[in-house]
Amino acid sequence: MSNLSWQRTPLLTIGFFIAKEVRDLVRNITNLLPALAAIVVTDKLWIPYAVGGAYLTYIVVRAILNQRFFLYALAEDAIHIRSGIFGKTNLTLKYERIQQAEIDQSWYFRPFSLVTLRVDSAGSAGKEVEIPGLTIALAHQLRQRMLAESTMPQEVEIEVSAPPSHTKTVSFPIGEVFRAGLIDNKIFVIFAVLMYPITQGSFFEDTVIPWFNEQLSFIQDSALLSISIVVVTLAVILFLAIGLTMLRYYGLELTVADQRYQARMGLFTIRTLSFRYEKLQRVLFQQNIRSRLLRRYSARVNQLQPVAQSQQVEGGAFVLPVLTHEQLAQLCDWLGIPPRHELTWHKIHFIALLNPSFWVGLTAPAIALVCYFNEVSASLSLIVGAGSWLVLQTYTVAWWHCYRFTLTQGWLAKRQGVLGRRETWYPLYKAQQITVYQSPWLRLLGYANLVIHSAAGTEVIKYQPYETAVALQAEWIQRIGTDTRRWM
Amino acid sequence: MNLLWQAVEPSYKTYLQLVVLIDMVFLAIAVIVIYALFPEWQWLPAPLWIGIPWAVLTLIMAFIWSARRLQFTAYARSPEAVLLRRGALWQSTRAVPLNRIQHVEVRQGALERLLGLAHLVLYTAGSSGADLSIPGLQLATAETIKNELILTIAKEPTEQESHE
Repeated sequence: MSNLSWQRTPLLTIGFFIAKEVRDLVRNITNLLPALAAIVVTDKLWIPYAVGGAYLTYIVVRAILNQRFFLYALAEDAIHIRSGIFGKTNLTLKYERIQQAEIDQSWYFRPFSLVTLRVDSAGSAGKEVEIPGLTIALAHQLRQRMLAESTMPQEVEIEVSAPPSHTKTVSFPIGEVFRAGLIDNKIFVIFAVLMYPITQGSFFEDTVIPWFNEQLSFIQDSALLSISIVVVTLAVILFLAIGLTMLRYYGLELTVADQRYQARMGLFTIRTLSFRYEKLQRVLFQQNIRSRLLRRYSARVNQLQPVAQSQQVEGGAFVLPVLTHEQLAQLCDWLGIPPRHELTWHKIHFIALLNPSFWVGLTAPAIALVCYFNEVSASLSLIVGAGSWLVLQTYTVAWWHCYRFTLTQGWLAKRQGVLGRRETWYPLYKAQQITVYQSPWLRLLGYANLVIHSAAGTEVIKYQPYETAVALQAEWIQRIGTDTRRWM
Repeated sequence: MNLLWQAVEPSYKTYLQLVVLIDMVFLAIAVIVIYALFPEWQWLPAPLWIGIPWAVLTLIMAFIWSARRLQFTAYARSPEAVLLRRGALWQSTRAVPLNRIQHVEVRQGALERLLGLAHLVLYTAGSSGADLSIPGLQLATAETIKNELILTIAKEPTEQESHE
């Protein structure tokens, strides 16, 4: 410990620490809302400015102090970090425990050729460690060392179906990135952000609407004009949404070399995510309606995901947002996932339809009754009730039909979704716990759900005959328990 | 695979009954406070309409539910795993492979200490629900199992096992 050479990050990284404070503020904004409301409501005009100014000063002072007190040291096998202004933290992170490394060339660091190194560790505290202001060369060298460190036991990690080990690169042209923008769901996020100020407070109603009425009273006269305004607004939002995704994934490039997976992306901020194959805990292939129409897939690879993080690391996950069918097959091949044409997907027993059908059966008369008592004619009520029953029941059957699972070459996979598709793959030997679960209803039928807790999320396989479920549990547990391969 | 299911201590039932009683008393206090503070609320039902279901629920929970729960709760040890049966109506059988256990903990709440009970928690790296907690053990038993587990885990044939 004594021979560590502690280093301070460059002065420029104050900008990074300010950005971090702002990010924390945005993340915690919901907690601050009551205080904000109190500030806005007050009639003393200087208060909001005073609070805002004080907060700005606080952020800047804190960022400067944070930068002053942030020290890191790189040892042979670990990073050491000292941070904190009053409460000091001393963190040691072993390279071999690192799940994923990310090099962020933030736009505000790029002119200075500096990067931020971000690594996820496997501790239960789920600490994400960030070192800002490294030179590119040092960051790359460091990442190399981290990812290399974890290869130590060479012979055990090679799987039966080990992916090939020479370098392969897949680039995604701008057209594909545009498709990714179409597929991505950011439009709803933007909507939410835009709608939020509109629904909050009286400012909008008191000021904006009267102003609009005054300026644009002629709009109300023309239906065509108001419709086109709405259409243009929507188009602008859509454009913004696609643009955001394109900024993020611009120039996306996947490199696979020697069991190391790396994705590089971004226009202003260039992010480079990488992980080692052995850290893989889950692979998720998704298709929403748009991507099904465009015949594309998105893939996400998860590593060990500590509880504390599972909700908010979405941004840091290893995601390939748009893949053609061939690219998907190629990725499966690299990841050692069995090829699609060799798979036999198992359905679950049709008794699984009983419970949802019962509730659907209850809904239909309820809808009919609600219609009837709201002065809809009896025949129309019947038609609406029957129609909604038909739709819901068809959906239920389709859901059951699409619900499949498979167990192939040590992988457990589940596929579901009627309109969108979702396919999750788990290396079974890395599972953490297997549960057989029976509600009173399932017990009555003699069935059970199998719950697989992996290090990157939980998967349920519904409606297995109780005996089968228990046998599968015993078999899998025995298999996991006797598997001496490294699992993280 | 034949498993030898080990029942938990009978006093676990007493523990469950005490927990039920305390919860129900808190619920009753909350309701009584509402009735005392807002006598003018017309839509509140007559006290009996709440009192009788409360009493029935308390009795069911204290006698039927806790008995059933005690009856079903059991743990077992296979060569590779620890298994736990738990629940009364919603039953689950959990199994944790020994080589996935991160750490082991013996815990004792205030009520448990009163009854000389403890529970043993096996932590894994899985998502939130993936920890296994064996309730209703005697403190000494829990310690014994813990030590035995730790020994077994330490002796595992792999050098890749992680101890966080």
